[in-house]
Amino acid sequence: MIIELGHLLAFLALGAAAGQSFLGLTRNGEAARRLAVATAMFTALSMLTLIISFVRLDFSVALVAAHSHSQKPLLYKIAGAWGNHEGSMLLWCLIMSAYGALAALFMREGKLRDRALGVQGLLTVGSFLYLLFVSSPFMRLIDPPFDGAGLNPLLQDPAVALHPPFLYMGYVGMSFVFSMAAAGLINGEIDREWARRTRPWALGAWSFLTIGIALGAIWAYYELGWGGWWFWDPVENASFMPWLVAAALVHSLIVTEKRGGMASWTVFLAVLAFCLSLLGTFLVRSGVLTSVHAFAVDPARGTILLIGLGIAGGAALALFAWRAPTLKAGPEFDPVSREGALVLNNLFLSVSSALVLVGTVTPMVLQWLGEAKMISPEAASMSIGEPYFQLTLAPMVAFLLLFMPLAQAAPWRKAEVGPLMKWLLPSAVVAILAAIGAMALGGWGVFLGYGVLVGVWAIFGVGQDLVRRAGAGGFKRFIKLPLTVWGMAIAHMGMGLFVIGATVETAARTEQTFPLSPGQSAEMSGWKFEFQGVTLVDGPNYVATRADILATHDGRTELLQPEQRSYPVSEMGTTEVAIRKTLGGDMYVALGDQLRDQANVWRLRIAHHPLIDWVFGGAGLIALGGFMSLAARLRRRAPTNAETTATEPVASSADKTGAGVGASA
Amino acid sequence: MIGPIIALLLQAQPLEQPLPDPNQEARAQSLMRELRCMVCENEPVSQSTADMAIDARRMIRKQVVEGASDSQVRDFFVTRYGQYVAFRPPTDGWGLLLWGFPFALIAGGLVLIGVKLVRNRPKALEPVPDDRSGGDA
Repeated sequence: MIIELGHLLAFLALGAAAGQSFLGLTRNGEAARRLAVATAMFTALSMLTLIISFVRLDFSVALVAAHSHSQKPLLYKIAGAWGNHEGSMLLWCLIMSAYGALAALFMREGKLRDRALGVQGLLTVGSFLYLLFVSSPFMRLIDPPFDGAGLNPLLQDPAVALHPPFLYMGYVGMSFVFSMAAAGLINGEIDREWARRTRPWALGAWSFLTIGIALGAIWAYYELGWGGWWFWDPVENASFMPWLVAAALVHSLIVTEKRGGMASWTVFLAVLAFCLSLLGTFLVRSGVLTSVHAFAVDPARGTILLIGLGIAGGAALALFAWRAPTLKAGPEFDPVSREGALVLNNLFLSVSSALVLVGTVTPMVLQWLGEAKMISPEAASMSIGEPYFQLTLAPMVAFLLLFMPLAQAAPWRKAEVGPLMKWLLPSAVVAILAAIGAMALGGWGVFLGYGVLVGVWAIFGVGQDLVRRAGAGGFKRFIKLPLTVWGMAIAHMGMGLFVIGATVETAARTEQTFPLSPGQSAEMSGWKFEFQGVTLVDGPNYVATRADILATHDGRTELLQPEQRSYPVSEMGTTEVAIRKTLGGDMYVALGDQLRDQANVWRLRIAHHPLIDWVFGGAGLIALGGFMSLAARLRRRAPTNAETTATEPVASSADKTGAGVGASA
Repeated sequence: MIGPIIALLLQAQPLEQPLPDPNQEARAQSLMRELRCMVCENEPVSQSTADMAIDARRMIRKQVVEGASDSQVRDFFVTRYGQYVAFRPPTDGWGLLLWGFPFALIAGGLVLIGVKLVRNRPKALEPVPDDRSGGDA
């Protein structure tokens, strides 16, 4: 009975969301607020009934029968509820209504909140219609099977159990940013106050998206067994496009909030971020991809998603076209200024997003044209992968990092180039020396030197800026710098670490495959790996072939046990790699197949991934910085609701002499 | 006498030997990363454990040693298996558009910004005095 209750609750949520949208848009704020909370509660309870059905293994529920199994560990029974198309769409609805409820509970009253709740209600209605009528997770089977079909074993991993919730908190978080944009446009007020109140939502969604993407990369690294963490797969790109636009948005919102500038561009980005999230969902969920990630293949669903994207995007763009001419331009600024640097940041980030979009969609369009016999099969079979994205994105990243310390240190409205350059000279020197050093160690690769150069420049430049801000206050002032400053600095340094890690790992990773019989050993990068043989081990719902390998380095020996797991229920296998962390990177050992022509000879793939933790750690710092910035904003708002907002920032008299570098000649 | 021989037997040789010249090996590795494995579809030959990928890696190393240029190696695989195997889109014809458009967008954006900002560049702007410890304030 419980799943029928869930089904009913979903319909109640749909009704509540419809009420929320009508009342919000007609400015019955208090009633819209209550309904927004009700929508979220109905949805949460509905999700709960699905999770309970998964945990209780109610195989009469079609979704449970298709995606769970009695032998599955509890965590994956729970995660199974969203590890499939229908369940993940319910999760989508839950997160979307939860953002609405958060706004209802915590946003200051006024027409911005009311209309944002109204638009969010509309988006929630659309999501529930899609859930209930095209991909319902509440269907029963007349003839339930004795046991379930199991979850794709590749997905039975902690990182990937958490990957969809975080990714969706990011994707769907953009829905509320979109609602704020639409509400602001309806009100005709895209001003500093609007930016100030939109920014926390954008920061939160973008930080969650960062974590979601990073978890996916970590999963690929540990679980797929080839040691790659990013492959420019369409599904990965689908999440990267909105990330790039949202990154541009959190920067342009600063200009709009602090200076009132770039208002129409900012609101355009706010709309675009959610449209790209929808496009990403379409790419993943429609089955237009030939990809290991495209678990759901159903063109009808794709078409409806595309129509939804068209309606939401079209309506928002129409609103934009209507209101954009009335939006005020901000105060004037010199090209050389913090505004100028942030404009360049936005140019490079949005072009990056455009190139990822074109690079992802072009092969699909060509394939489609080929199937329609409009172009030759040869022209239709183009692939766009790593070389394209690396070579075109590299200059974008270089410019972004180049301007990063400059943007932090330059004053608003007008800066002088000379003093800025002179002041940042130490960082430039350190960066050049580091790049030369890295190239000398790593065989003079241009790509390697370039990554270290811009990464070290960014990290040291940001550090210099922190020291400058502390000024004569010394260390005491340094650690007491505001949370916003630390948030910005940590995110920026994380970006620098990420770029260094990513380029070094890509340029200097080494890997080899050895055929080993028991007793033989292989050597690589100063390590000796002695293969002891394999044993069969029983897991909860799999059988593993486990290799025992004695790894010796610097006279110390330890046991590494990579596995190949085979899941009888789904007739699939996975690779569990053994990873030995060292200061400079990971030694990565994966057990391959047995050689066909020789008995008891196994393929062992050994790789060294230098600085791989900088990649994941850098991404983590970016998200941490975003959350710190968000926390600072929430804390600042808490004490008073009547703070001065729409005035020019006025510096306290004591600080007037200490404006940005090169503030005045 | 027999000790060293046993030790030698127990020392496994990798299925594929990296090339002795590190520059050639680096070139071969980067070529392996940009060719698609014909068996597993969504992996480059550098990462696949399939026999066919191993053969492809041997072939790449062999050609690099024999002095083939990067584009000759790519062409070898593309003529055999089609454009689909190359993760690097072609750099001629329509492919140029693909490679060039991001840079055209940047150039166009810079020109637009330049026209808007520099032409109307106001003469007497003063920097906004900021609280030096304030974040984005």
